[in-house]
Amino acid sequence: MFGVDVGGTFTDVVAIRDGKVQVTKVPSSRVDPAGSVVEGARRLGVAGSPVFNHASTMGLNAVLERRLPKIGFLTTEGFRDILDRGTVHRPLDAQTDPSWRRSFGDAARPLVPRYLRRGIRERKTARGETLFPLDEAQARHELEILGRTGVQGIAICLINAYVDPEHELRLKELVHEVLPGVEVSISSATSPLAKEYERASTTVIDVIMKLLFSDYAKQLDTDLGGLGFDGQLNFADCAANLLPWEEALERPFRILFAGPAAGTVSSGHLGAVIGRRNILCADVGGTSTDVSIIVDGKPFVQNTFEIEHDLIINALSTEVSSVGAGGGSLVTVSPSGGILVGPGSAGAEPGPACYGRGGTQPTVTDAVLLMGVLDPHGFAGGEFELDAAASERAFAELDTPVPFEERIRTTYRLAVAHMAEEILNVAVRHGVDIRDFSLMAYGAAGGMLLPAALDLLPLKEVIIPPHPGLFSAIGLLSTDQVYYESESAYVVFGPDTIDDVAAVYDRMEAKLRERLGGIAEGLPVRRSFDGRLVGQSWEIPFVQIPAGPITGETLSELVTAFHDAYEARNGNRFDTIPVEGVTYRVELVVPAEKVDYRPAPEAEPFPASPEGALTLSYVAAEPVQAEWFSREKLTTGATVTGPAVIREQLSTTYVPPGQQAVIGRVGEIIITEVTK
Amino acid sequence: MQTFPRPREERLYVDRKPVAAICPECGGSDIRAYRVLSEGGWWNAEKCQDCLASLSRTPAPALGSYVPLGTTVPRTAR
Repeated sequence: MFGVDVGGTFTDVVAIRDGKVQVTKVPSSRVDPAGSVVEGARRLGVAGSPVFNHASTMGLNAVLERRLPKIGFLTTEGFRDILDRGTVHRPLDAQTDPSWRRSFGDAARPLVPRYLRRGIRERKTARGETLFPLDEAQARHELEILGRTGVQGIAICLINAYVDPEHELRLKELVHEVLPGVEVSISSATSPLAKEYERASTTVIDVIMKLLFSDYAKQLDTDLGGLGFDGQLNFADCAANLLPWEEALERPFRILFAGPAAGTVSSGHLGAVIGRRNILCADVGGTSTDVSIIVDGKPFVQNTFEIEHDLIINALSTEVSSVGAGGGSLVTVSPSGGILVGPGSAGAEPGPACYGRGGTQPTVTDAVLLMGVLDPHGFAGGEFELDAAASERAFAELDTPVPFEERIRTTYRLAVAHMAEEILNVAVRHGVDIRDFSLMAYGAAGGMLLPAALDLLPLKEVIIPPHPGLFSAIGLLSTDQVYYESESAYVVFGPDTIDDVAAVYDRMEAKLRERLGGIAEGLPVRRSFDGRLVGQSWEIPFVQIPAGPITGETLSELVTAFHDAYEARNGNRFDTIPVEGVTYRVELVVPAEKVDYRPAPEAEPFPASPEGALTLSYVAAEPVQAEWFSREKLTTGATVTGPAVIREQLSTTYVPPGQQAVIGRVGEIIITEVTK
Repeated sequence: MQTFPRPREERLYVDRKPVAAICPECGGSDIRAYRVLSEGGWWNAEKCQDCLASLSRTPAPALGSYVPLGTTVPRTAR
C-alpha cells in the first residue's frame, strides 16, 4: 500500500509491506509536480501495490499564493460582487479597524478580478419560477469578451440555481459553444446548496482545481501504470476520505486540502486498535501545531472549510485548529525584554540555527538541542549534523536581560504552553472533560515537546504513535472511500411536508447508487441533515436520521433527533418551536484496504534497558542525569521512567521528570504522570 | 433658497475621456479615463470599455469632486 503526501517543500512517500513501513522523501517540484510523486513511487517499487492514496497541498498553496489560472465568473446581473463581500463577517480583532480588508476582496488579492466577473440577465425565484428568462444574446456577448481576455475556465453561479438549474445548464452549453476547450463548473452540479456566497466561492475553487489537477492526475495515472502499478489511485478529500481519482475530478474542490485531516484519521484508526475512543490529536510541525478532536471514535467533521478568513467552500472537512508554535518557531524578544516564542518560523530554509544553513535566530529546536534531548549526530536519521555551537550563539545574541540558561528554559516552556493552551481551547470549545481524553502527539517534534503538556493539563495520558513523523501520511492508509450527495431545500418539518423530505433522500440515494454501480450494492447509506429552529439563520449540521423509512409516523423521531443535536451543541432545547430542514446529505462508505496494526500479546511491565546515559541541562536548576533508549529495541511492556529520552530514526521522545512511559501492544509509547 | 443651480439633465454622467491605448487583457481599443468610487475611496482610472479591465488606477482626492470650502483658502490668507 502506498500513501503520498505532497507538501510545498517535500513529497513524503510511505509504503507498507507486510506490516513494515518504508519511506522516502523527494523534493516537490512546481514545474513537474507529478514527477516527484512518480520518482518516490519508483524508489519504493510501486508495482503490485493494490492502492496508491494521494494527498496534496498543491491546490491549497496555489490558492494561498494566488498562483491561479485566469478564470471568469458568471452570475445573475447585479450579483457579481458576491465574491468580494464574502459573508460580511469581520474577525474579532478587525471589528474596530477601518483599514481592515478581506484578503480575497477587490482591494486585496481577489481570486477572480472584478472585470472578469460578469452579470448575466436572468432570474429564477427561490421557488424555481422564471422571473426573467435567460438573455442568451447578452450571455454570448459576455462570453465573447471573456474569450478575448484569454480565460481558461468559467465558474457559473446563478441566484437560486440550487432550486432550478435550467439557466446554469443552458449557460454551460453556451460556454462550450462560444469558448470550446474552456473548463466549466456550475454551482448546481458542484454544490447545489443554499447561500449564494459559499456556493459561488466553492464553484470558483472547483474550476481552479479542475485546471490544476486534470492533467496532473491523468499524467500520474499513466506514469504509475508505466511503473507496473495496476491498483486504484485515490485522492484524499478535506476529511481524508478517499475518492477514486476520476470521481475526485468530477468535483475537485473536495481535494483542496487533506494533510491535517489525515493525521486525525490516523489517530482514530490507531485509537480503535488500542481501545481509545476519546482522543485529542496534535500534529507538531515546523511552523505550527494542528489540533483536532475525536469524540467516541468519530473525528469532528464540519460542513464547510475555511481557506482564509471568510473564504469558504462547502466541503466536508475535519475541524483543525492551528497555533503558531512548532519545532521551527522563532524565539524573539518583546519590547520589555521578555522571551517570545512564535508565531514566526524559521521554515525549512534556512531552518533553525543548529541546521547550519544560515539561520541566525534561535528556535525551539535549538533550545531542545541545548537541553541535551536531541542527538546532534543522529538527527533526521543521521541526514545531517546539528551544530550546538550555532544554537548557543543564537541564544547568546538575543538582546534581553534574561540570563542565558533562563532563555532556553523559557523557550521550551513557552512552546509547550502555547500548544497546551490550544489543546485546552479545543477541548473547551467542544465541551468535553479533558480528563477523559488521551493526547495523540505526532509530527516529528510531537514526542519531543508534548509529553510536558501533562504537567499543564489533566490529560489521561500522552500517546506517541509508531512512526510519529510519518503518522499523517500513514493516515492516508487508514481511511475508507466515502461518497456523498447533498441538496438544499427549505422545508418546515410537519405531516404535510414529510413526504417532500423523504423524496429528496430517495432521489439523492438513487443518484448516488446509480453513480457508484456495483460497488454500492448491499452497503447502507447514512443520512443526515443540517437544520434549524424556524426563524434562525444558521443551522445545526449533521443531524443523523434514524434508520428506516421517513414517514408521518417517524416524523417525531426526526424532530427529536434535531432537538437532541441542538441540545448537544447549545446546552438547551426548544421542543415547541418547529424545525426547518435546509441541507440534506447521503453518504455511502466503501471500505478500503488499511494499514494493519497487529497487537502483540499483553505483557507485564518491566524496566527497559537503556542504551546509555546523558546529561540534561536547563531542565532543573542543576544539570540532571538521565538515560536514553532506542525505540526500535523497546517491546510491549517495557517501562521507561523520566527523565529519559527515547530515540528513533526520524523522531525523539522526551519523558520529563515525574512521568513514566510504557510501550503498548502496537509499539505506541503511553506516557502518564506518576507523581500525581 | 437653493445655493446651487438646478440640474437640467435627467441623469448625470461622469465625463469619460478617450485615451490612446490598447487593452492588454482583451486587445480592445476603446479606453477611457474617468473617476471611480471603489473600496479605498476615489480613483482616477483608465479602463477598457469592452472588458472593464483597469489599465491604470491612481488615488484621486478622498472626497471625489467635493472640495470643502476651508481647503480652498490659501494657507497664507488664514
